[in-house]
Amino acid sequence: MGFLAPWFLGGLLAVGLPVFVHLLRKQTTVPRLVSSLMFFEQGTQSSVRHRRLRYLLLFALRVALVILLALAFARPFFRHKTAAASDKLLLVVVDDSFSMNASAGGPGTKLDEAKRGALAVLSHKAASQKAQVIALGGEMRLLTQPVVDFGQLRAAVEGIEPGDGHGTFGELARGMRAMAETVHTPVELDLFSDMQEANMPGNFADMVMPGNVALVLHRVGAASPVPNWNVENVQAPGQLVDTKKARVIAVIAGHETPAATRTVSLVVNGNVVAAKKVDVPANGRATVMFEGLDVPYGESRCVVRIDSADGFTADDARIFAVKRADPERVLFVHQASDSRSPLYFGAALAAAGEASFVLQPITPEQASDIDPSKYAFVVLSDVPSVPSILENALLRNVNDGGSVLVATGMSESHREHIPVYGGSVQDGHFYARGSLADEGFSTVGQADASHPAIKDARGFEGAKFFYAAAVDPGKARVVARLADGSPLVVDKQIGEGHVLLFASGFDNLTNDLPLNPAFVAFVDQTARYLSGEERVSGARVVDSFVQLRNPVNEESAVANKETGATVDIIGPDWKRPLSLREAAVAESFQLARAGFYQVRFANGRDALIAVNPDPRESDLAVIPDDVLKLWSGSPGAETAGDSIQAEVQDGRGVSNLWWWVMLLLMIAAVAESILASRYLGTQREQP
Amino acid sequence: MLQRFLDPAVLHGISGLDLVAKTVVDGFVAGLHRSPDLGFSLEFAEYRAYSPGDDLRHVDWNLFARTERCYLKRYRGETNTQLTVLLDASNSMKYGSGAVTKMDYARYVAASLFYLSIHNQHDPAGLIVFDDEVRDYIRPSTRQGQLYRLLAGLEQAEPAARTDFGKPLKHFQEFLRKRGIVLVISDFYEQPEAIVKAIEPLRFHGSEVVLLHVLDAKEIYPEMRGPAIFVDLETDQKLEVIPDYVKTQYRAKMDDHLEQMKERAQAAGLGYHLLTTDKPLDRALTEYLSLRQGGR
Repeated sequence: MGFLAPWFLGGLLAVGLPVFVHLLRKQTTVPRLVSSLMFFEQGTQSSVRHRRLRYLLLFALRVALVILLALAFARPFFRHKTAAASDKLLLVVVDDSFSMNASAGGPGTKLDEAKRGALAVLSHKAASQKAQVIALGGEMRLLTQPVVDFGQLRAAVEGIEPGDGHGTFGELARGMRAMAETVHTPVELDLFSDMQEANMPGNFADMVMPGNVALVLHRVGAASPVPNWNVENVQAPGQLVDTKKARVIAVIAGHETPAATRTVSLVVNGNVVAAKKVDVPANGRATVMFEGLDVPYGESRCVVRIDSADGFTADDARIFAVKRADPERVLFVHQASDSRSPLYFGAALAAAGEASFVLQPITPEQASDIDPSKYAFVVLSDVPSVPSILENALLRNVNDGGSVLVATGMSESHREHIPVYGGSVQDGHFYARGSLADEGFSTVGQADASHPAIKDARGFEGAKFFYAAAVDPGKARVVARLADGSPLVVDKQIGEGHVLLFASGFDNLTNDLPLNPAFVAFVDQTARYLSGEERVSGARVVDSFVQLRNPVNEESAVANKETGATVDIIGPDWKRPLSLREAAVAESFQLARAGFYQVRFANGRDALIAVNPDPRESDLAVIPDDVLKLWSGSPGAETAGDSIQAEVQDGRGVSNLWWWVMLLLMIAAVAESILASRYLGTQREQP
Repeated sequence: MLQRFLDPAVLHGISGLDLVAKTVVDGFVAGLHRSPDLGFSLEFAEYRAYSPGDDLRHVDWNLFARTERCYLKRYRGETNTQLTVLLDASNSMKYGSGAVTKMDYARYVAASLFYLSIHNQHDPAGLIVFDDEVRDYIRPSTRQGQLYRLLAGLEQAEPAARTDFGKPLKHFQEFLRKRGIVLVISDFYEQPEAIVKAIEPLRFHGSEVVLLHVLDAKEIYPEMRGPAIFVDLETDQKLEVIPDYVKTQYRAKMDDHLEQMKERAQAAGLGYHLLTTDKPLDRALTEYLSLRQGGR
């Protein structure tokens, strides 16, 4: 038996209090005057000795109360023999995150060493003891059920392949806590990992194991930091029109490395098209820029590679995909009298970095027989009425995955119906006609920076709005609001497509946004978002998700059933990871491996997605020993070899007696109250 | 409304026994719903046929003139009744669990009786204050200033010494030669036999003797939280007493004492009334008036 907080036993000194009250304190009595002692007799039982005897039980209860209180604070525990070794569940967890592909210093990788260690532990288990094999990568994967069959366990361990995910010990602890709710038997968890510091969660408490889990840590690889260079980041356009204007920027990082010169190569479709030397400072970063990216039309698979000559070659390259195509056309429908809107919008579109769009202005009358599916997206700029043929064609196109940008402008006819969007303008806010106390304009008060259309549109808040239509957003997503709370940009999903509503105009009359620098970024981002390019471009890391189709609602589900719209994915290993059924219903897909994924989305668009491992896996710094000891629950435990074993590993368990002490305390308190009130209560004679 | 002035706790706030007595009697008489000027001695009672030897002064000559029959007119209370109060002023009378001690209560009772007797009934009233000796004696009289003499005697009757009914009562015989009403006010901490034996001779002159037993309520129903040391007010003797004893045996003894007092007093032809200091005074006054009527 022991105490978790023995210093609270000092509270036992308080036992002196009832001793003083009951045994040591002099009983002083104030004499009472009576008329006559004629009817009184000497109370022979009222001696102090009798008083002591009489209150002995009360005294004992009070002493017990003090002792139990001190014990409760001291948190007593009781060591006992735990269940037999055969009743203890053995969990063998092998870290298969990306960093385990690094060399262990000898022959083979860290993963190989981890697997050898795991097999050694499993071979020493008792024949009747159950064991389970778990792989810890981006997520925790149970490779077997708790079984006693060594052959099955060995097969599971040997079947662990090098992964590309980013492991986290917080995920492991979370899984153990979930398991502890159902498994109450003692668990011995043997973790084989490189104990990478980057795998620790932000909060240490997140990786603390539940009480019935004895953690045994087996570190593989060197305990000292290993120098490693890697390509940390690559910025390249996802889609390009002019190969000469394209730029590729790569960041080369060194972890625990000396200053060195590295050769950086740009590889396109297997051919080295450029190479540069870069000086990487000690334990620092360097940037390399390649001007021009000469890729053929269509999708190209590109790689930025360095000659690191370190023990971890898997992170020496970073891939990206580039699509070269002619500029896509954007249909811009506007009134004949409005020549300003196409001018401003077209100029912004042309000024955008990639310039992969060409604006085609047109009046509503001319647009009657236009097929919207031939355009990246369609803009309806302050159009009072749209030919019904065009509106129906636009609606069909949106349902199939197309997109429309609607600017309401000041047209009164929108009060009845906004084309394609479906709603109507309820009112118009003329901020310029406000009282003299007002400034005569409104500004953007709230912007949803997570929306792709405005995420990089810095300075958007500086634009002045003199007029804005009041639109009921309904269930649509409000991307931006004006200072008075009225929606400015609303994104409404219809079928597979989107309709983006801009509650003002592009003509520099209802607002000065077209003259604002943020307008270029806004138009550029909006164009990328509406054309679908945004969905597939950008950095992708292993274990991230790609959205295959819009979230299922009843309408689109029915439409999918009718049309049988499926997605198609070909993984880095040239296999299709989705079954036919999954391809028909899956809304998203987890990119579990590094490499190129060919994806055909539900709206018919194709994309080549490059997936890279998490760059944090390249930092091979290991967790300090004292932290590992703290994690394993035995701060004073000695490190034996490369394994740190918890103190409770000796086959003895701990039972906390706190609840029992508290129960006794409550019983003693109740008994003391009853006894004290009985002895010491007012003894009043009733007539 | 004046009835509330019969409450001892209220009377304690009134300074001066004369005012206390007036307050009590006025309140008491008002509570009877009769005139405060009620006079028993002037009340017509009956006619009685004349017999030789009767005093001719009582013949109703008007009746004789109308009927030619000679009748005597009879009145109630032809004679005044002398009231004598024997007040115990021993130390035990100092006891009081509340604001009013037994001595205070006895004073209030005596003062009220004097006021009622002299002011309302025009009866002579006197006072004997005693402990183990006769300490003060005021002869019964209806003279001018008699009430204030009596009240002054009550004021000066501070408790002292012990009670001893035997010695002073020998002297009472000398003072009480005329028949009347004798009220003995005491806490009677003595054996009932001895008390009755000592007081009983007072009846031999034809007087009505009433024992007014004044006790504090806490003497009958004591409260004790724990063992305590009790000190006798008269003897200074100390005794350690436990609550269990008080709860059981003391109560039995006290009940037995009160019962004995009542029985023996009644057996000896003495009136007996137990008065507790938390009860109004009207009971004592009622007793006096009833005796006054019966003793006519």
